[in-house]
Amino acid sequence: MAVIGDTLAARAPAAVFAAIGPGRQAGTERLFARRDMRRASTPRDASILLVAGDIPSEASEALARVHDQIPPPRATVQWQGEDPDRIVARVMETLKDLRVSATGEENRLPDAPPNEWKGIGPHGQGGKGMMGGTPYGRPMAMTGPDIRDGLQLDRYSARIGPFAPMLPPGLTLEVTLQGDVICDVSIDSPPFAQPADADAPDLCLARVLRLLGLDRAADRVLGGKRPGALWVQGAISRGLGRIDGTDMRDRVAAWRKGEAAPLGPFDLPRLLIGAEWSEAMLILASLPPSALIRAARAPEAA
Amino acid sequence: MVTFAVILGWTALAVLFAIALSPSATASAPQAMPFLGGGSAETHAWQRFHFRPYTMSLLFIAFEMEMMFMYPWAVVFVSEGIKALAEMGMFLAILSVGILYGWREGIFRWQ
Amino acid sequence: MTVLLLVLAVCATLLAGVVLAALLDRALPELAGTLSRQRIETEAPDRMNRDLAPAFYLALAAVGLSVVPFAPGLALIDSPVGVVIWGTCEALTIIVVFLHGWSPNAPFPLIGAYRYAAIGLPVMLPSMFVLIAAALPAESLSLVAIVDSQREVWNVLRQPLGLPLFLVVALTLTLRGPMDFADAADIAGGTSAEDSGAGRALWQVARLAMLVSVSAVAATVFLGGPLGPVLPGPVWLWLKTAALMAVLVWLGNRVARTTPSRMLTILWVVLLPLSCADLVISGVVAL
Repeated sequence: MAVIGDTLAARAPAAVFAAIGPGRQAGTERLFARRDMRRASTPRDASILLVAGDIPSEASEALARVHDQIPPPRATVQWQGEDPDRIVARVMETLKDLRVSATGEENRLPDAPPNEWKGIGPHGQGGKGMMGGTPYGRPMAMTGPDIRDGLQLDRYSARIGPFAPMLPPGLTLEVTLQGDVICDVSIDSPPFAQPADADAPDLCLARVLRLLGLDRAADRVLGGKRPGALWVQGAISRGLGRIDGTDMRDRVAAWRKGEAAPLGPFDLPRLLIGAEWSEAMLILASLPPSALIRAARAPEAA
Repeated sequence: MVTFAVILGWTALAVLFAIALSPSATASAPQAMPFLGGGSAETHAWQRFHFRPYTMSLLFIAFEMEMMFMYPWAVVFVSEGIKALAEMGMFLAILSVGILYGWREGIFRWQ
Repeated sequence: MTVLLLVLAVCATLLAGVVLAALLDRALPELAGTLSRQRIETEAPDRMNRDLAPAFYLALAAVGLSVVPFAPGLALIDSPVGVVIWGTCEALTIIVVFLHGWSPNAPFPLIGAYRYAAIGLPVMLPSMFVLIAAALPAESLSLVAIVDSQREVWNVLRQPLGLPLFLVVALTLTLRGPMDFADAADIAGGTSAEDSGAGRALWQVARLAMLVSVSAVAATVFLGGPLGPVLPGPVWLWLKTAALMAVLVWLGNRVARTTPSRMLTILWVVLLPLSCADLVISGVVAL
């Protein structure tokens, strides 16, 4: 049994979590269209952390956290713009080494709870009363009015990014969710700068297709073929992400024809506030990286 | 009797299989944090979640009760004939008005 | 003796079916890879539900497959209310998926869990409509009787809307493609975003096992199950099940997934009236 398992595991595509740095988005996304590479949507599903490019120092703590969230045995592979074939070979070699190692790389962050709590308060939760304190190291969410129907229910606040696979690389959003609707959002850090090659129509289309659950179709598009998928335009609601009279459906239609879909300036938080999470992610994927970077930097400059 | 034995048997087998396969899990504090692409959360994720289609679930209960009546109805349908078809048609028509009303009120949107 | 044989048949079908499903998904080597990784604890999780959710998902698949007759008149659970037992498995699947998303105490799995509950509930209605429409000509809720009623003509012809509607249900139950609102890409894998190692592998196996079960039920209700010339009954059932599994995997890879609120409207306003029409057609034909 164990032998069969090992032989099978040796044939598996490499499960890689990608941390994409400045200038490396297009190359990394094309890398994962290969059959022998699989981009894991969460570090829990990966065994290799691929660090593409130089990660700025502000994001180094996030990188360490993502690294630690990969289950052992794990390893990191640095990619500084070498040929894709070389990097795939290196990933495969690292995987082979991992199979004989028990743990791989050690944790990078110290094992300290996010908040002081043990032994403080009547139940060790670090505070008084029903909702007070930090049970198990974290406070509970508190209520607030909802923006759609005004009901008083819990608001959940978190910083998401910079290596979240559904967000553009580098973008960190400070989000307040009520249920799965975004009540409030602000930009913590803008996406990393990317050259114009990240705006290529096939890459933009592939990003949307992956969000629509069409991974195979996205790989086909990046391989220069037709997506071969049903109901792509229809699945996108009309009016989603409307900017200067074009909505997401129009932009996807342009990308399918191989045309670019340039965009004027827009207010990114206003586009996302009030959207349900999956709609918000579709809107983000429907914006070419260059336009998104400009929009995210605008409030910083002002 | 066999039915219960089989259901209990499969459940017990599946639970044993799961326990045998799953080792105990460990993690350091940063490792255990929910995955947010490297970001961090302020509060626990468990919350009084705003389940937006809750009005839809009320309409669902009406239809689910109707399902319960349909099981015995299905068995006697052929022997009762056209009368059974007409009765269920009327019942469904009344419930369908509920869908139209709910649709107009926007209960299928995430309100 | 027959009971023992049928237990073995259910086990073998599930096992072979899971391997076939993993091959169709090109996920077999990956499953082995996942299994070799360690399992990471999440922050203050609900440990009991985390461990039990995949186990119950697997159990529901096994119970569902047990009501399917492997030869005319021969099912492990030969119950007069087989359709109801299968319906229970469908409904409990929603709860199992919800608990799986609830247990890690993390935002993306939680969103996936609630989303799946919202979509899964209305999907139960077309499912029951088409199954009851199949029970009308059989004058019984037993799957054995439903197979017998298809000796002259299969239900796929008697109620042409039935199989397509049931395929939508099957996609929902197996968290696949256009109906995969629990484990979607926009929430980093949704309810399984925090699963690692053996726990993750078990959830994927349970998902594949449910694919086998739901395909077998669809083959029984709409394609005559074990009925067919020359070959023995079980072989026909396996062939039909495998064909439906391939169709479901193909649909899952090819059809786009819309946003949950839009899908909810489509389910109530388009699919539910269609399944009512299916019931009426089947009723008129049965009379």
